[in-house]
Amino acid sequence: MEGADSKPVKVRGRQCCICDKRRAALKRPKTLEQICRECFYEVFEEEIHQVIVQNQLFKPGERIAIGASGGKDSTVLAYVLSELNRRHNYGLDLFLLSVDEGITGYRDDSLETVKRNEIQYRLPLKIVSYKDLYGWTMDEIVKMIGLKNNCTFCGVFRRQALDRGAALLKVDKLATGHNADDIAETVLLNILRGDIARLSRCTSIVTGEDGPIPRCKPFKYTYEKEIVMYAYFKRLDYFSTECIYSPNAYRGFAREFIKDLERMRPRAILDIIQSGEDFRISTSTKMPEQGTCERCGYISSQKWCKACVLLEGLNRGLPKLGIGRSRGLNNDHTKGAKESNGTKSFESKQCGTLDF
Amino acid sequence: MAGSGSFGISSAPGHYNIGGLELLCDSVKVHNVKVELQNGAEKLTMKDLLGWVRTNLIKERPEMFMKGDTVRPGVLVLVNDCDWELSGQLDTTLEEKDVVVFISTLHGG
Amino acid sequence: MACNASSCQSNCHRSDEQVQEEEVDSSTNSITGNDNKNQNVCAKCKFNESISGCGGEDGRFCADCFRGNLYGKFRLAVTSNAMICPTDNVLVAFSGGPSSRVALQFVHEMQDKSQKNFEANRDRSLPVFGVGVAFIDESAFFPAPCLEIDKVIQDIRLIVSGLGPPRKELHVVPIENIYSSNSINGRDRLKILLDAVSDATGKEDLLLHLRMLSLQKIASEKGFNRLVLGSCTSRIACHVISATVKGQGYSMPADIQHVDARWEIPVVLPLRDCLAQELYRLCHLDGLKTVELHKGPHSGINGLVSSFVTLLQEENPSRECTIVRTAGKLTPFHFNRIPEKNDSNITLATQRRQKRYNLKPNESISSVTFCPICNSPLNQSDLLRWSKLGNFQTSSDSFDAACCSSCRFQILPKDSSLMEHFSKGLPLPMVARAKQSSYSNLCLLR
Repeated sequence: MEGADSKPVKVRGRQCCICDKRRAALKRPKTLEQICRECFYEVFEEEIHQVIVQNQLFKPGERIAIGASGGKDSTVLAYVLSELNRRHNYGLDLFLLSVDEGITGYRDDSLETVKRNEIQYRLPLKIVSYKDLYGWTMDEIVKMIGLKNNCTFCGVFRRQALDRGAALLKVDKLATGHNADDIAETVLLNILRGDIARLSRCTSIVTGEDGPIPRCKPFKYTYEKEIVMYAYFKRLDYFSTECIYSPNAYRGFAREFIKDLERMRPRAILDIIQSGEDFRISTSTKMPEQGTCERCGYISSQKWCKACVLLEGLNRGLPKLGIGRSRGLNNDHTKGAKESNGTKSFESKQCGTLDF
Repeated sequence: MAGSGSFGISSAPGHYNIGGLELLCDSVKVHNVKVELQNGAEKLTMKDLLGWVRTNLIKERPEMFMKGDTVRPGVLVLVNDCDWELSGQLDTTLEEKDVVVFISTLHGG
Repeated sequence: MACNASSCQSNCHRSDEQVQEEEVDSSTNSITGNDNKNQNVCAKCKFNESISGCGGEDGRFCADCFRGNLYGKFRLAVTSNAMICPTDNVLVAFSGGPSSRVALQFVHEMQDKSQKNFEANRDRSLPVFGVGVAFIDESAFFPAPCLEIDKVIQDIRLIVSGLGPPRKELHVVPIENIYSSNSINGRDRLKILLDAVSDATGKEDLLLHLRMLSLQKIASEKGFNRLVLGSCTSRIACHVISATVKGQGYSMPADIQHVDARWEIPVVLPLRDCLAQELYRLCHLDGLKTVELHKGPHSGINGLVSSFVTLLQEENPSRECTIVRTAGKLTPFHFNRIPEKNDSNITLATQRRQKRYNLKPNESISSVTFCPICNSPLNQSDLLRWSKLGNFQTSSDSFDAACCSSCRFQILPKDSSLMEHFSKGLPLPMVARAKQSSYSNLCLLR
């Protein structure tokens, strides 16, 4: 893109550079090729198939849950995975897994979308709700703690809710809709906040292999632009509204920066992922030891897992318990409450797709 | 801001259909708009249309849509279901009854 | 900031500071002594009025403590990494900007102090290190009126000669001298080389690599054994992000350490822990003259990254430090330390310091192959791609194959005829590096 601006010549109906028959409909950010819709569907699906095969994301006979939020990424993932499963005989049992955070006007609407997807793609759907798991809806949590830090609660609870839902479905793996833009953004955020442990694992296509349910990201190398174009051209039924509790209209400077970069040099997104994979992180860097939570049995590096600490705070009327970066949470609860103001606006912006 | 499918087609001269601005425009999904050409200009370009949308259509938070004289990075633009990167972006010329759709990739998972 | 000057070891320095402080104390006493505005009192000496103006950490100190703190960071970096030893002859790269101006000033102050120690010491056993200054004239790339360049060079001469004894020699060298010191067509060759690069960011980066070659050449020819750069935290933070964005995650840790000895003349960054804002402020406080050169703003990726980092720094004044600290946790390379040598002139104390702070080499030197353009260590996938290619038809093909993927994308011309031009414009060290790495790679394969 740089230095080679497209000339203001308008050619209605430029040919697809793959089939050379049909009119091109989009410019691929990854290759800068101009291709028609039909060829786009083909290369888009084939690339994801290759990613799945080369990284051995699935084994025949496995039960796979697709984390479905009703948004564009998970809707396209559900659609493409069920297509590929059929086409290439993966032999997978696919399920949709949704989390109901209890957000009126946002999640209830998006869950309607997921319920339609259940019928459209004929995939069994399981919904786990915060209310059932924790006794609190996000609406109730926000009523108590206000709009600050609510994304921390939601993120921690969602992560665990997905694992619990996956366990209920008895699936072998959870596939999430994280796309290349999301991963590039996470790499940058981890550099910006100094989180070397997360930096070392955020580019892995499969994570949590030591945990109860491994997660994988079949869209790791898929540009957000292509996912949106695919959903649009295929007229897929997805829901797109910002979460009403999202603290910011934009998802932070990093997101904006990624988009600016993409406009200047579309390859930059994949380059960031490459960098993330190539970072030399010495194994001596301390990784938190994994244990289990004494209260709920969920994996945790501390005595109690983060969700239990947060929940304890809610139930005891000390909602700031466990928010912030204090280390020895479990040793001293009141101390944790005091340190709550340490969270910077930057950290709290991470919500929605990133944690999902 | 997702673009949605159906557009009313008008046959009156100088009319264009714009979709995908519902979040910024009182939830109206499809706008059938008539844009007057600037004096002397022969054809309407996307640049003209964006300027017109900014002053006439967007009710709140124009920064969610525009940055400088073009759309924010992360907002996809389709002219008659074709990526505007193929037709010259801001220099894309529009014709009667053309359908322009804006899709934001900035939110929703 | 995170690193402060805690380890002041030389007594002379401390007494210097104390004398200065006492002087300032007596003068400011009458002004601040009576009112009880605690917020305005320096956080370190708890006595003088802190310097107001911009916010951030450095606003809490008085002018003297601020200066002492900044110099302390410089000195800690120099001593703990054995950057400068008494027998060394260091070349300071001076662009005229605030960062390299402070680097020059601090190196001068350090030299001045060892000179005083030398004179005070009866047996005169420890020699005083030598200092030279280099200015690279890049007018071949940034065309400016001759008068303006002459004025800039004149100003730089005045700055360097105004530093006081020991005298520092100034080397003003046009960038086209990388070809050979008396070649007339250097400018044309440089133009051919840069014109063949279409990407704006690539062009900017290539110029940066050429500048380094130029500095290396001066240092080597004039007998220097260290090259001091004024790269500060802010600059390095930008490099961390832009290298990540350009896919250079593997090699990036090599560029951001205090010491980079992959070059013939080891490069040292004593201002790595100082913020641009602090350096700018010191120039302002002490009236250190800087020279503005009209190079235009960064363009392309570098410009985007720099405005992104500036925005983040405004939102959180410790962001640049965090970025550099994160990148600092990545594993450096074996060449990120001053190579050990059996030199009787290195004092025991220096050796001990070196042992305490330096990294253990964790890989053998021979396993690293470098990109001929940017001199970055190549990652696995670059080496793999290279080894798959086999025989090359032309020299430009083999040059192309030896480069890292980032340079291949943003610097190397895609078009073969342009590539021919580009190859003709390449300076000898880059061509030699390609041959060298081809050879070592072949040896590895066999």
